[in-house]
Amino acid sequence: MMSRTNIIALIFLIIMGLYPLFADSAWLAIGTTFLVFSVVAFSQDIILGRAGAFHMGHAAFFGMGAYTTAILNVNFGWTILATWAPAVLIPVIVSFIVISPIIHLRGDYLLVATIGINIIFLQILENDLFGLTGGPNGIFGIDVLKVFGYEFFEQTHMYYMSFILLGITLFIMKNLDSSKFGRAMFYVNKDDVAAQSMGINIRYYKMYAFAIGAGIAGAAGSMFAVQYSAVSPEAFDVLQSIMFFTIVLVGGSASLPGVIIGTFVMFVLPEIFREFETARYLIFGLAMIIMMILRPRGIWPVKFGNIPSFLKKGKK
Amino acid sequence: MDIFLQQIVNGLTIGSLYALVALGYTMVYGVMKLINFAHGDLVALSAFAGLTIYTSIFSNGGTSIVAVITVFLFTAMIIAVVGVLLERFAYKPLRTAPRLSAVVSALGAGLVIQNAIMLIWGPNMKIFPSDLFPSTVYDINGVVITFTQFMILGLSSILMIALYLFINKTKMGTAVRAVAINQDAAQLMGINVNKIIMIIFIIGSALGAVAGLFIGIYYRGITFDMGWMYGLNAFVAAIIGGIGNIPGAMFGGLVLGLFNALISGYISSAWAETFTFTLLIVVLIFRPTGILGETVAEKV
Amino acid sequence: MSKYLLEIKNVSKFFAGLTAIDSLNLKVKKGQIYGIIGPNGAGKTTLFNCITGIYTPEKGEILWNGKDIKGVAPHKIAELGILRTFQTIRLFSEMSVAENIMSGRHIKSKQKWYNGIIHTPAYYKDEKYNWEKTGEYMELFGLSDYATTPTGDLSYGIQRKIEMARALAAEPKLLILDEPAAGLNENETQELAEIIRKIQAMETTVMMIEHNMDMVMNLCEYMTVINFGAWIYDGVAADVQNNPAVIEAYIGAEDED
Repeated sequence: MMSRTNIIALIFLIIMGLYPLFADSAWLAIGTTFLVFSVVAFSQDIILGRAGAFHMGHAAFFGMGAYTTAILNVNFGWTILATWAPAVLIPVIVSFIVISPIIHLRGDYLLVATIGINIIFLQILENDLFGLTGGPNGIFGIDVLKVFGYEFFEQTHMYYMSFILLGITLFIMKNLDSSKFGRAMFYVNKDDVAAQSMGINIRYYKMYAFAIGAGIAGAAGSMFAVQYSAVSPEAFDVLQSIMFFTIVLVGGSASLPGVIIGTFVMFVLPEIFREFETARYLIFGLAMIIMMILRPRGIWPVKFGNIPSFLKKGKK
Repeated sequence: MDIFLQQIVNGLTIGSLYALVALGYTMVYGVMKLINFAHGDLVALSAFAGLTIYTSIFSNGGTSIVAVITVFLFTAMIIAVVGVLLERFAYKPLRTAPRLSAVVSALGAGLVIQNAIMLIWGPNMKIFPSDLFPSTVYDINGVVITFTQFMILGLSSILMIALYLFINKTKMGTAVRAVAINQDAAQLMGINVNKIIMIIFIIGSALGAVAGLFIGIYYRGITFDMGWMYGLNAFVAAIIGGIGNIPGAMFGGLVLGLFNALISGYISSAWAETFTFTLLIVVLIFRPTGILGETVAEKV
Repeated sequence: MSKYLLEIKNVSKFFAGLTAIDSLNLKVKKGQIYGIIGPNGAGKTTLFNCITGIYTPEKGEILWNGKDIKGVAPHKIAELGILRTFQTIRLFSEMSVAENIMSGRHIKSKQKWYNGIIHTPAYYKDEKYNWEKTGEYMELFGLSDYATTPTGDLSYGIQRKIEMARALAAEPKLLILDEPAAGLNENETQELAEIIRKIQAMETTVMMIEHNMDMVMNLCEYMTVINFGAWIYDGVAADVQNNPAVIEAYIGAEDED
């Protein structure tokens, strides 16, 4: 017996799996970016929706992954495959270094501090601090993935690579949610005083969320860099962070379908209405306000009660 | 030494502007626990509205005190109305919602104002006329102060002192403080919380409007998206001072203005934001609620 | 090994010049049900917050099996086996009853850091075991029917039970209850007393703050009375009830109310 959510998930995966058969190249690119952004949004949701840390600088971790792949490939001649591990690990390590001193900050203070981290990251890129980032123009000429002499250069290849990455991300999210670690994040989020009185180390679980979130965002960044074969600073500025933050809240914090819907609403819809050009962000802003008023917990809010079936006796 | 003193004057000028904007953030935050992300865009709107009022009413040139006062009063009134409408439509329906929903609404509102400015005035930079204030320059032992700087410092100080007196010495100011401490209790004591929130938005927006006009007069070039960066800097100032704390916002604004001017003067303006946010993070590491912020122990 | 499970030695706690606890002493033996009573604002909850690490007292020692635990972080205190409930219920209200109680199993769970990303056979064993334990505690408190219900939807009395079940699921050595009977009706209070006796039978020491004097006198083997943060009297129920200083403190307090 499948639950309603699982059926919907299956339908979603089938549609997304078959999508390249019907899409032209422009829409295939949008589809690919949609998948990559969903991955980033999920990683943002680990930090914001699960651990409840007001994090508004996630584009920095996304960008670190992208720039790691770009720099290692273009400047040092690494193959794309070889850059994957560092593209994940560097954001994780950086998150430990920059987030751990501020992890104790409450709510909005953390929010502004993480905006700050994003802005500092962006200035490092723009000012070409180590002579590696290519300044405001960024880096171009990034290679395609080559495995055993086979080159994955087509749009469709990019699409399915991103599709697999989304699959891996969903697998991790599911595992996280059904583990001590995912639950601990929720406890910290819902009531930190009660959580620590139950023996939960708040710092540890918030850092855990940041580390996993940064790692997944890094992987998505690497994918993004290869898709466009270029990286430049403005793709990772605070406005991008705000978008990921908003995706989670508009869709529904800690809700897997919610985040997918959020990404669709915040990224794909504006693409569909591209012809309205100038007025579209005005309408978009209005839509954000109206959406929050109508559905303050998101379009598809999370439902708790993720417990083994042998405990679900008499439902009341 | 002269360069240093000159940067101090410049820093205090920018700092006063930050402080005026920061007051808007801090008052809203103090009462509603909401980062009003649209506040910076109100500041930008003020600059554009002020420019239009000035050019359309006083197009035949010639500055008069009357003209300048009219522009300031009209613009402040318009922005105050926009601020009140903003609260009424974007924030009031979300008072009981999860806190972050209101943050998203604020971000949306910012987007609306910013893009409205772009649709009305166009995406290109607009230039403020240079004749609003006389171009008099005072030279005090090699330190130059322009008339505009003098006006910014003077008027900001007057407004801040007035606000301080209003909050601390009047009955309504006491009501504002009461609502900031505990909305429910204030309501039970017969304070009209809606009215207080409206007043907060009127004052905050009007102060932001004054800052927006000064930004136009002082820097001349204004763009539709400039509100974001001014807003962010002012918000950082409010946090450094201790958000929710009115003297804290003034203090934070001046500190950040001086800091910015010294960094630009001695190091590089390309790294200005990096230094600003490093300062913020360092302050927060040692004082998690800002320099003048109270450390509130959670009641268990 | 110390003779006492928990010893409070000359503990003082100040808030901005106010003395919340004033050189307090008390000793809790293993297996006891120990009462802390006193008028409102006497510093009882502050004492509990000091024991559980939420506050750090400025003076004195808090000895756990003879070792000073003053200033130890709250989560480490829980790991030592000191678990608590709160005066104002603090449940994870959007989450289900089972998930709330499962939080008590946190310190008992042996999952490794990578189990949040990938599951291993050891993980499955551990996860299953802890959910079964959660099931046992739900059974014990008669909560099984509400397993999937969000705790925020349940009545006050049931919420109190969930909070106790959650703390007990961590298999504490010392369970600290902050006004467990507050807001409960007569029947629920009766049921609560029985549960506390059961907890004692599980070899868990209990410390409680309670205003329901019938329940305190009936349950607690020993108690300390405090007022304005300071010791007034300690002894067994009969002695406490007849002590003039205690009566004085309570009558004095009634005027304030």
